[in-house]
Amino acid sequence: MAVRNYIPETLEEALTLRMNEHAVPLAGGSDIMVQHRKGMGIAPDLDKPVMIISNLQELKGISRRDDGYIEIRALETPASIAASELVPWHVRQAASRMGAIALRNVATIGGNIGNASPKGDLPQPLILLDAEVVLVSLTSERRMLLDQFILGSKKTALADDEIIKSVLIPEKEFTHLFYRKIGTRRANAISKLSLSAAAVVRDGIIEDFRASSGAAGPKVIRSREAESLLTKRQISEIPEIADDFIAAWDRAISPHAMPVYRRNTTSRMLLHFLEALQDEERSGIIE
Amino acid sequence: MRDKVVFHVNGKRVEFEGNPMTRLIDILRDDLGLTGVKEGCGEGECGACSIIKDGKLVTSCIIPVGAADGSEILTIEGIKDTPKGICITEAFRDGGAVQCGFCIPGMVMAAYALLEENHHPTEEDIRMAISGNICRCTGYDLIVSSVQLAAERGGELWQ
Repeated sequence: MAVRNYIPETLEEALTLRMNEHAVPLAGGSDIMVQHRKGMGIAPDLDKPVMIISNLQELKGISRRDDGYIEIRALETPASIAASELVPWHVRQAASRMGAIALRNVATIGGNIGNASPKGDLPQPLILLDAEVVLVSLTSERRMLLDQFILGSKKTALADDEIIKSVLIPEKEFTHLFYRKIGTRRANAISKLSLSAAAVVRDGIIEDFRASSGAAGPKVIRSREAESLLTKRQISEIPEIADDFIAAWDRAISPHAMPVYRRNTTSRMLLHFLEALQDEERSGIIE
Repeated sequence: MRDKVVFHVNGKRVEFEGNPMTRLIDILRDDLGLTGVKEGCGEGECGACSIIKDGKLVTSCIIPVGAADGSEILTIEGIKDTPKGICITEAFRDGGAVQCGFCIPGMVMAAYALLEENHHPTEEDIRMAISGNICRCTGYDLIVSSVQLAAERGGELWQ
């Protein structure tokens, strides 16, 4: 092997390796082992040292903090996230549809975020919910919005001495929730398009409206322009706002491969959600 | 820092001191001779290399051995002579679940992981449980009905 690979036993050992050798953290392996695979009988080989952090207990656990956030540590898997009643609904939905069972048992939330694939399943609902990432190094700890941490396709703001420690999701109640993942089959599918939407409607007023779209551009899309068109408006005004709202979303969707498909499908899902908002009989999970 | 990896495979202690990025499947097949673990895609997509690690179904082709440190691993060889393993393999035989057989060790491990957690699976539960195991021969129906047969025949075995 060209470079040495490591198995740190504590977070401090891992952060020391990160600082001194800029070792690449491997959490579950479901991205790195595939991206760098060499074939039967040959170990995947990177041009930098790898540190296998799969067993670091400091990076495991899902908990409710007393400051209004749900904390998911970086090594939690889609299987454990989907099974946790502490985790907000949109994130559990996305986690439960990742890959198939064996993948959901090894992939991690830290890896899914750090890999920053535009088609990654977890960043999309996390950005909907204004989730933050906690980044640690030997000398510092900082928080930032996940939407700012992911810079573009496969690009993040992670410094070369940092690792992702956890994700913080603000707890918030919504009156209307929607999630769809569109793939070529029910299991083992890479997302072609995904959409989360959430709203708070009280006394006919839209107090909060947000939507996020995955796989429709180099990073997860939220159109603040489209959201502001609906926020604080009455549900009876939705029909007259809808065209401008959809136009704002169309502009937010990247003009890369298949923009017509993605715009059409996204607008159909958004209009379906807006229709439910106008129906006072409908609330909760919008199928 | 760990300078060697220690884990158990089918109840036997294994020590490994080489590159921790070595794929677990290569150690199972080449070093331990457990060739019931099949390599299909090598990308964690097809399920042929499925094993059970600490009670959970995983694909051994995308796991570096360093991540297996301290774990308990079961392969098809570790369950084939146990009452539960015999129950599943006889149900697969009697139910006509097998054609070429390449996917079957992984299918059996997926069925085992399912029945350990869910003693009375519905057809939908079974289809979900084997959704990461690809078979190019059978069309799945006889595999699904054979897992159902194993659940029924096994009865208290799975409690």
